[in-house]
Amino acid sequence: MKAKALIAVLSLSGILFSADKVILKKPPESLKKFYPPASQKFEFLSNMYSMSTAFYGINLNINEGNWKGAKEWALKLKKTYIETSKMVPEWKDYFKPKLADNLVKAVESKSVDKVIEASKKLGQTCAKCHADNQVAVKLVYHFPSFDNIKIEDPVEFMELETGKYMKKLTNSLKALKVYLTQGNVEAAQEAGANFIERARQLRSMCSKCHTNKLSEEVIVGKEFEGHLNKLEELLSAQKPNREEIFKTLGSIGMSCSRCHNVHLIPALVQEAFKK
Amino acid sequence: MIPLLLLLLFLGGCEKLETVFVEEDLLQRPPAKRCSDCHADIYREWKKSRHFHAWTSERFRIETENYAKVKCLACHAPHQVDPGRKPELRAEFREDGVSCVACHFKEETKSMHGPLKVWSPPHPSKQDLSYTKSSFCASCHRETYKEWKLAKVERSCQSCHMPSLGKRDLIQKFPFHLFHLAKPRTSHEFPSLKARPEDVEVRLEPGKIVLTNVGVPHNLPTADQGDPKLYLLAEVIYSDGRRKKVRKILSPQSKTALAYREPREIRIPPGEVKEVRVKLLRRLAWSEEKELIKEITLRTPSP
Ligand code: HEC
Ligand code: HEC
Ligand code: HEC
Ligand code: HEC
Ligand code: HEC
Ligand code: HEC
Ligand code: HEC
Ligand code: HEC
Repeated sequence: MKAKALIAVLSLSGILFSADKVILKKPPESLKKFYPPASQKFEFLSNMYSMSTAFYGINLNINEGNWKGAKEWALKLKKTYIETSKMVPEWKDYFKPKLADNLVKAVESKSVDKVIEASKKLGQTCAKCHADNQVAVKLVYHFPSFDNIKIEDPVEFMELETGKYMKKLTNSLKALKVYLTQGNVEAAQEAGANFIERARQLRSMCSKCHTNKLSEEVIVGKEFEGHLNKLEELLSAQKPNREEIFKTLGSIGMSCSRCHNVHLIPALVQEAFKK
Repeated sequence: MIPLLLLLLFLGGCEKLETVFVEEDLLQRPPAKRCSDCHADIYREWKKSRHFHAWTSERFRIETENYAKVKCLACHAPHQVDPGRKPELRAEFREDGVSCVACHFKEETKSMHGPLKVWSPPHPSKQDLSYTKSSFCASCHRETYKEWKLAKVERSCQSCHMPSLGKRDLIQKFPFHLFHLAKPRTSHEFPSLKARPEDVEVRLEPGKIVLTNVGVPHNLPTADQGDPKLYLLAEVIYSDGRRKKVRKILSPQSKTALAYREPREIRIPPGEVKEVRVKLLRRLAWSEEKELIKEITLRTPSP
């Protein structure tokens, strides 16, 4: 019975973070050296996995009545915990080395109750830091950056960063809407043609992160292409059908939002932390 | 020279000769430079190819965020190339990119596979005719291979991108080259080539320009992960003297490249057209340079 309770406490404490709010703080400078480009080894993250494994090792051995094995894992956990506490000076205060030592002592005492208590205490130090930092670190170090991605503008034949390209794309869309509303057909046709070319070129950025063409297809695939072709058709009429055009723009916009839903939040967080 | 040859032959009879001269390290995945000890000419050609640059390419480095995008790496530094199988990332000498060992050495046979039947004392070799087929290139050039299949042409990738150099020596190392006859050689520069003006047909029809790729048996341009482009610059001159510019990027990544023998229509702004001046340029995936493919002036009605 007690062993079961131990599993429950351990899996709740260290690994999951049960925050009722998610805070995004900019990750400290000194964390950088454990991530690309400074390092390819992800030393910080790899210590995290070691600690999590060690927690599990204690748990598993106690379940099997192997207190000697459990102690080895407890010592490993303590060692890694202390080592990790020195990796990022800005985060020093999150660590309580004494609690790691207490866990070793609890295991030595062979009391399941004491182990549960000590695990919980130590686990809380993990959870606190995760709640404060994990999401931000994921977004900054594990999500590729759109900043390095360049798209060539098909109207001006110039390479632009994602944000700037989006602006140009949106401006030609707005121009199309404005001219159309004013009834300036020729100008609307020109702005429309620019918008269509720019929208078609969006797809050229996907392969810079994705190697599976299916990911592209679901957002900017045949359906998207079909809407762009339809818009081209509508605009080429002598008296363009305004209502139909706005409807088609709505359908095109769905693809824009789908792509934003998947990618924009990480991109915005990265952007915000750069300042 | 003759005494040396004799000396070699007397070393324990012909059977053992195969093993006596094996240079063990050649079967332990050495860097490409090691192959140049004997295959000096082929090495020199390969150094000029994009396969050599596949890992060190600055653009590749930037786009993978310093090699952090793990799923990008295997084709640019493969362990072993087997037709029909996606390569795995190599552990050693990644800076060699798509290397000699990756394309020729097979773990299963511990020997160099290649298109020829050879006697090669320093390392075992095995004739393997898959090297002469397009499917050899397909494990990395996946999209291009699909397009090529649709084109239904006889010519293999190799016949265009590894053109024959006639009969030459495979090795340049003294004195071993004296024991070998010249053999069919293929260019290891893997030239990117360039479409000839006649490979792209350009016509003028009412309200549109029609482009057709009639000469390159895959998309023009073609790509897997690279982003090469074709630029169309057209100036439309109307009977009333008005002029309009039409510019387009045709690229595999935006799914606008010219498929083999599939006409592509490009709209031009309405009006009574007198003539259209068309320029077609290309930019390869790894290059900044825009090179002219074709320049033509079209008049109505198109001949
Ligand atoms: C000082 C802050 C801090 C402390 C203390 C901390 N962690 Fe972490 N942990 C992180 C950060 C930041 C990440 C995200 C790292 C990343 O994704 O590269 C992380 C990630 C992890 C992960 C990986 C989660 C995943 O799915 O990617 C595990 C497992 C983990 N921590 C376990 C632990 C355990 C167990 C403890 C306590 C013994 C602990 N951590 C203490 C900051 C901390
Ligand atoms: C800067 C890098 C980057 C670019 C550029 C990018 N994506 Fe993504 N995308 C990601 C990441 C990271 C994920 C998270 C899942 C993953 O790792 O594949 C993702 C997830 C997705 C998903 C959901 C998961 C899947 O793979 O099906 C879709 C769909 C998608 N992207 C489509 C696109 C399309 C379409 C484009 C081009 C218009 C694009 N992406 C451009 C980085 C990128
Ligand atoms: C990769 C999928 C993707 C697609 C498809 C896409 N966007 Fe974006 N968009 C982004 C990303 C990522 C950003 C954030 C760029 C940055 O700021 O670095 C962005 C930013 C924007 C912005 C804010 C730009 C700014 O900084 O002011 C606008 C507006 C926008 N997109 C409009 C559009 C429209 C309109 C479409 C469809 C025609 C579209 N986008 C399609 C990914 C996409
Ligand atoms: C399936 C094999 C394969 C994978 C996976 C792959 N590439 Fe490539 N890459 C190629 C091939 C083949 C070329 C040659 C040009 C072409 O056909 O696109 C190439 C060319 C390139 C080029 C242009 C040449 C240069 O050096 O400037 C860049 C940049 C590039 N790849 C980046 C990437 C990135 C980024 C990824 C991951 C998102 C990736 N590659 C994944 C096969 C691959
Ligand atoms: C010490 C000299 C030497 C070195 C070093 C050497 N080779 Fe060879 N290789 C030969 C000889 C000799 C032949 C046969 C030449 C002939 O028949 O004309 C040969 C033939 C080949 C063939 C043709 C096989 C066929 O069946 O078509 C390949 C492929 C090959 N070598 C690959 C390599 C690679 C890859 C390396 C570097 C890892 C390498 N070689 C290093 C001596 C060498
Ligand atoms: C292991 C993967 C792989 C195999 C197999 C492979 N290639 Fe490549 N190839 C690449 C990569 C990656 C590049 C891009 C290198 C770069 O520029 O960064 C490339 C580039 C090229 C280029 C230059 C393209 C350009 O943009 O200028 C040509 C031509 C080419 N390969 C032809 C071939 C042929 C022909 C074969 C078959 C005999 C072949 N390749 C087999 C991976 C491969
Ligand atoms: C992208 C894969 C690739 C790479 C890299 C590559 N080869 Fe080859 N090699 C081939 C193919 C394919 C053939 C057969 C061409 C044919 O016969 O159509 C070949 C043929 C050969 C031959 C037979 C003679 C000839 O010229 O056709 C030798 C020898 C050889 N390669 C050695 C090397 C050496 C040495 C290197 C490195 C300097 C190297 N290869 C790099 C694919 C490769
Ligand atoms: C009949 C000759 C021919 C055959 C066969 C052929 N190609 Fe090409 N290929 C060309 C020409 C010509 C170009 C140059 C197009 C241009 O001007 O950019 C080219 C360009 C390329 C490029 C560079 C990107 C581009 O389009 O500019 C790659 C990569 C390539 N070919 C791969 C292959 C592969 C892989 C195969 C086999 C599946 C193959 N080719 C078959 C003639 C051929």
